Amino acid sequence: MKINKYAMLFAAAMALIVTSCTTEDLDPTLAQSKSVEGSVTRVDNLYSILKGAHNTLTGAGYYGRDMIATNEVRSDNTFSNGNSGRFTTQSQFQYNSNTGFVWDNVYALLADVNIIINTDLSTLEGDLDYGAHIQGQAMVLRALGHFDLLRTYGQQHAGGGSLGVPIVTTFKGEDLFPSRNSIDEVKQAIYSDLETAFEMMDSSYDTSKIFVSKYVAKALEARVAVYFGDWGRAVSASEAVINSGLYSVIGADAFVSSWTTEGGTNVMFELAFSTADNRGPDALGYIYRYPADAPGGYGDIQVLPEVLDIYDADDVRLDIFGYQDGGTALRNIGKYPDTANGADNIPLFRYEEVILNYAEALLETGGDAVTQLNLIANNRNATPYTSVTKDDILNERRRELIFEGFRFDDMMRTGQSATAVGSVGNVISTLSYPNNLFAWPIPLSEMNANSNMVQNEGY
Amino acid sequence: MKQKFRWMLLPLMVLSISFSYGQEKKVSGTVTDQSNLPLPGVSVIVVGTTNGTQTDFDGNYSITVEQGGELRFSYIGQKTVIRSVGAGSVVNVQMEEDAQALEEVVVTGYTSQRRSDITGSIVEVDSDKLSQIIAPSVDQALQGNVSGLTVSATSGTPGSTANIRIRGISSITAGNEPLYVIDGVPVSNGNVGASGAYSSLSSLAGLDNNNIKSITVLKDASATAQYGARGSNGVILITTKRGREGNTVFEVNSSYGFQRDAITGPVPLTAANRLELAAEAYFNDGITATKQEAIDALLAGSFADWDAAGRPEAHWDRAVRNDAASVQQHSISASGGGEDHTFFASLGYMNQEGTVVGPSFERISGAVNFSKDLTSNLTFSSNNSASHSLQNAFLETSAYFESPRSAKFFLSPLNLPYNADGSYNLFGGSLPNPLYLMDNNIYENRLTRILSNNSLNWQLTDNLSYGTVFNVDYQGYNYRNYSNRNYGYGEPTSGDAEQFDRTNVFYVFQNFFDYKLKLSDNHIFDFKVLQEYQSNRRYFLGGSGQNFADDGLYYLDNVGTPNSVSSSFTDFYIASYMGLAKYSAFDGKYVLDLSYRREGNSRFSQTNRWGNFWSVGAAWNIFKEDFLANSNVVNNLKLRGSYGVTGNANIGLNLYQSLFGFDADYGGEGAQFVDTFGNQDLSWETSNTLDVGVDFALFNNFVSGSAAYFSRTSKDLLLNVPLSQTTGFASQYQNIGELTNKGVEVDLNFNIVDTEDVQFSLGGNFATVENEVTELPLDPNGVERTITTTTTRIETGHPVREWYMPTWAGVNPETGAEEWYVNGVDGETTANFNEAEAVFQGSNAVPTFTAGLNFNFKYKNFFINANGYYAGGHKIYEGWHLYLNQSNAYPILAYNGYTSLLDRWQQPGDIARNGAFTTGATPWQRNSKYLYDGDFIRLRALTVGFDLPRSATDRIGINSMRFFVRGNNLLTWVKDDNLLFDPEVDVDSQGGDVTPGETGLETPPARTIAVGVNLSF
Repeated sequence: MKINKYAMLFAAAMALIVTSCTTEDLDPTLAQSKSVEGSVTRVDNLYSILKGAHNTLTGAGYYGRDMIATNEVRSDNTFSNGNSGRFTTQSQFQYNSNTGFVWDNVYALLADVNIIINTDLSTLEGDLDYGAHIQGQAMVLRALGHFDLLRTYGQQHAGGGSLGVPIVTTFKGEDLFPSRNSIDEVKQAIYSDLETAFEMMDSSYDTSKIFVSKYVAKALEARVAVYFGDWGRAVSASEAVINSGLYSVIGADAFVSSWTTEGGTNVMFELAFSTADNRGPDALGYIYRYPADAPGGYGDIQVLPEVLDIYDADDVRLDIFGYQDGGTALRNIGKYPDTANGADNIPLFRYEEVILNYAEALLETGGDAVTQLNLIANNRNATPYTSVTKDDILNERRRELIFEGFRFDDMMRTGQSATAVGSVGNVISTLSYPNNLFAWPIPLSEMNANSNMVQNEGY
Repeated sequence: MKQKFRWMLLPLMVLSISFSYGQEKKVSGTVTDQSNLPLPGVSVIVVGTTNGTQTDFDGNYSITVEQGGELRFSYIGQKTVIRSVGAGSVVNVQMEEDAQALEEVVVTGYTSQRRSDITGSIVEVDSDKLSQIIAPSVDQALQGNVSGLTVSATSGTPGSTANIRIRGISSITAGNEPLYVIDGVPVSNGNVGASGAYSSLSSLAGLDNNNIKSITVLKDASATAQYGARGSNGVILITTKRGREGNTVFEVNSSYGFQRDAITGPVPLTAANRLELAAEAYFNDGITATKQEAIDALLAGSFADWDAAGRPEAHWDRAVRNDAASVQQHSISASGGGEDHTFFASLGYMNQEGTVVGPSFERISGAVNFSKDLTSNLTFSSNNSASHSLQNAFLETSAYFESPRSAKFFLSPLNLPYNADGSYNLFGGSLPNPLYLMDNNIYENRLTRILSNNSLNWQLTDNLSYGTVFNVDYQGYNYRNYSNRNYGYGEPTSGDAEQFDRTNVFYVFQNFFDYKLKLSDNHIFDFKVLQEYQSNRRYFLGGSGQNFADDGLYYLDNVGTPNSVSSSFTDFYIASYMGLAKYSAFDGKYVLDLSYRREGNSRFSQTNRWGNFWSVGAAWNIFKEDFLANSNVVNNLKLRGSYGVTGNANIGLNLYQSLFGFDADYGGEGAQFVDTFGNQDLSWETSNTLDVGVDFALFNNFVSGSAAYFSRTSKDLLLNVPLSQTTGFASQYQNIGELTNKGVEVDLNFNIVDTEDVQFSLGGNFATVENEVTELPLDPNGVERTITTTTTRIETGHPVREWYMPTWAGVNPETGAEEWYVNGVDGETTANFNEAEAVFQGSNAVPTFTAGLNFNFKYKNFFINANGYYAGGHKIYEGWHLYLNQSNAYPILAYNGYTSLLDRWQQPGDIARNGAFTTGATPWQRNSKYLYDGDFIRLRALTVGFDLPRSATDRIGINSMRFFVRGNNLLTWVKDDNLLFDPEVDVDSQGGDVTPGETGLETPPARTIAVGVNLSF
């Protein structure tokens, strides 16, 4: 009997030991994640990744704040007062290869859109035309990403050199250590993506302005063309948007309030934010002003006082401005006005910009710029133009697009110098054009990880 | 005399006769040892009952017992004696030494071993030493007591985690934390806090130190390979207290004290300093023509109110200080047992306030350890402890504007803490008044930890036993935070609230057989086979919202706008099989150890899941050889050596697959994005460790100790290899790279005086560790992929994360500009930081030399003991110099700095540490100016106490009573005068929350003075 008891115990224990754990038993649960391989089976999945890509755009390191704020403080519109220690480095052109910017954000965006673009539609279930539309949307975002990289890191304003940025069109592709493509190669890749995207997309699927849409492809093409002075392309791309008849310039009465509403007729594409989904203290509005009148919160970006001089007295756009800190600090009050939550949508493509691009392209190609420019001026209670110069267009762009991150690129593409401004609004130095500092350095981490990468001059 | 005695006994004898059948009688006697000296404290038990007593100081006892009953006498190190009670009423016993039992037994993990049988590097720290440090978690007490072990606490905030490193850093990006084992079972440890921004909360803080009997630290491969897969970083074994057969003994331990920061730290600039420096900056920048003009402008501007109020100073360092920060701990325990059972039960309470206003830690805990022989060969044991801890935390791990620690340095002295009427001054600015926030906001961590370890041991035959263990470690964690609606960062949203709930459940199952094979007295084998399975599950639920209708509402039910809700589940599993064999020849003269472990871990893909680990160890107890048997010089001499392979899998979960994360939303809808790059080839990181050493005791134990050399090569490192960010990812885990750690460890103890009245001993240890990276991945061009940050670089031929940055060349006396060497070493200097080359600065942040010193002195009933610690050979970096310690706009306009800035350049010819002040805000330019020698000495503990003499304790009927005064961190010496922050910094990133090797704004350790009493009855 006793032997039996031991034998049974022994057998039971051995059985436990032998059978208890196999390799499969150790598989972890993927409760919040899914494997990339094999989990994209429906068109819906592409839509979900597209939303993820748009979400990447909303990051504070990208269009959620830094992309717009960095260019704004480097322009002659604003400077950083350093209230929270933010954007002084940018305002004073003091950055080095350790100063973070959008490099990683943009390539993270490209990883997602490349998965969408490279998915073989025939393997998916669902409305495949819609699938093609989504792939077109992804291509627009890829073009936008490459353009953001190019205007930030390309050597076009740094005094010679033809280096652009690496073009990446696959996720986890063969070449994980790419070298830099030339400025022109990147530009052509952008145009090519936008043309293909326009063909693939069907505007009947464009039901919401919080996603890129068919005519955003053309608006972006016009923007890029203006940046590089490809005026013919700028004209035709702008006309494609205008002729769609989908958008209109917002009227003077609605201009200020349009910044608090969503999906206005002048908006082509805006990033979605809400009280539930916002960047909190890292929001764009929070860097443009203090939560209350007295210094508090962040509110680092202050407006240079002379900016007011470029407006007519009746110009409705003056209502965007205001003062804080007992009337001493000139502020952006009206654009992205929700300081507490940062719940305002951020428009990235407005119809007004398309009109301004069109006007400039017409001026450069001998067309009728006056009519186009007056579409803006007349809707802002500003004095209409009878004739138009290049400076008129640049000034109108500055008036209209201030605080939206366009001014620095306008200064660059027209070969203007820039000013490093200190935290009390004092001029520290003037940077003549071209200048090494007009191209952002390739991040040191990229340089260390990828010996094919070449650093920009001066860093 | 004798005659008289006999007559006196007569009544007793009469009594005993009258109750001769089955009636109880009183028996007394004296217990002596081998040399006939009285033995106090011997347990005397009536066999078969729980009736028992102990001998007194003179070895006397008396007990009531049935005639014909049996008395069992037992005492540690003596052979147990059983005597039957006959007609007589006096039973005197002379006990005999048990040579086998007298030798110290050390818990070595899955087994316990005689010290002489141990082949590895093992250090045991007993509860006496552990209790010298007053802290919620016991790990802090190991500093200085174990050679080669360093403790670095990120923060002195009560309840925070500490990092323990054994023999340096064995991995670059996988964890370096040792494995924690409580009563034989691996447990989870570390930070349970849900938010990296707030103070950390150590799960070890859920254990009451008073319940811990000892901690054993395993350092070499032969000791750690039985925990193979996770042993690379060393193992810390915690053994809880057990009861002993005999009368129930009650112990009360209580202490109460006060604390301050162990270091003064930098002294903030006053408003007057600030006025002067700001004016100078305006003048230097050419904004005003003279400095006086700038002073006038400032006095008319931002300094006007201050000037008008009579120039008061805010002294934020004093304002945020908690002057009467108390610390108290109390515990009461009962332990005892009978013939077939033992128990230990305790209740504990600890309360520690932070040294600044706000933070505190409170814990209530209970434990019951119980063991019972169910039958003659079946023993059931259950060790259970439960605790509830409450930590009032604060935003601590960075320069958070709401933190009272940040306020000390960052807040402008123009903002006074209080209004004239004593109310809080609710000033504006980025930094709100922390005193109001600490009063009105809530940051609360709560941890409920329940540990239950249940085992059954079946002695199948004399030589074979089977055991099974089931252990549950339950950690229920709650976090909530509330920012008030009236002032501060909660004001714009009318109050913010956030709440997290996290439950961690860890199961461990073990089944094992032990077999002892005794070929002859001279050849004994011990075998153990074990199977272990561990499952770890974590459940999380959290939410946040804003906009409260009124004050006094803190919970999410009352928010007007719910912001977010989230929940998640994560898990990992570990399965292992292990075999141990020990061969002991000629009574342990020669010892051979073998171990093998196969372990599978869910962190790796199915094809790479299992790893094999093994070790061999040998010891030669020379002192047991005949030629030393009667030596008066050599009391102990052992040569030992071991070699083995251990592993490390301490990386994040689910890193081998390319994964879509769904932790995103856009336009109110769920979204997905790739969040893990993945690497299907990921597998174990392994370490090969060689350890040789000698243990010795000489001259009648006058000097004893050990010396050891170790060399550990870690291969196939789980390295977070930087990727080109064009992949969309910054890094990917790969098994690549190799690094070595080599060092010497020496422990020495001198028994200088050892008499009955005076005892004086001095103990010390020191350890060196030399760390070098020997292999790193190459990129397609054959270029080594170094991992470089703004301050460190990982490169072959250098220690891990050696400091790497431009070298400061001082302030140019002519221009007042800070300058750096162009080539990083010497010669040409430049004021353009981008032109200065970054170079290696000679060492990393890990001390290469550490030493501990113990001092114990006893005179009659008085005693003094002290414990000090030295660490050196490393450098540490000042983390916040840009904002606080640099002559730019931040310390004088935006924030505030400290007085070291007053040493600045003012006019040509000045030799100064800091350059000319400017209103410009310089960017981060990390350079060697802010890299300091890390060497320091700290008096960790000093205790002066008094034991009540035996005569007194006997009179009041107790076993012992001790009064003591104890100080912790009383003195700190720092080598580098420019290092103003606490020198003990974190060498690990704590999961990315802090920058390793940098001084931070976290709470420094506390200087504590406490009085206490220990009572046993």
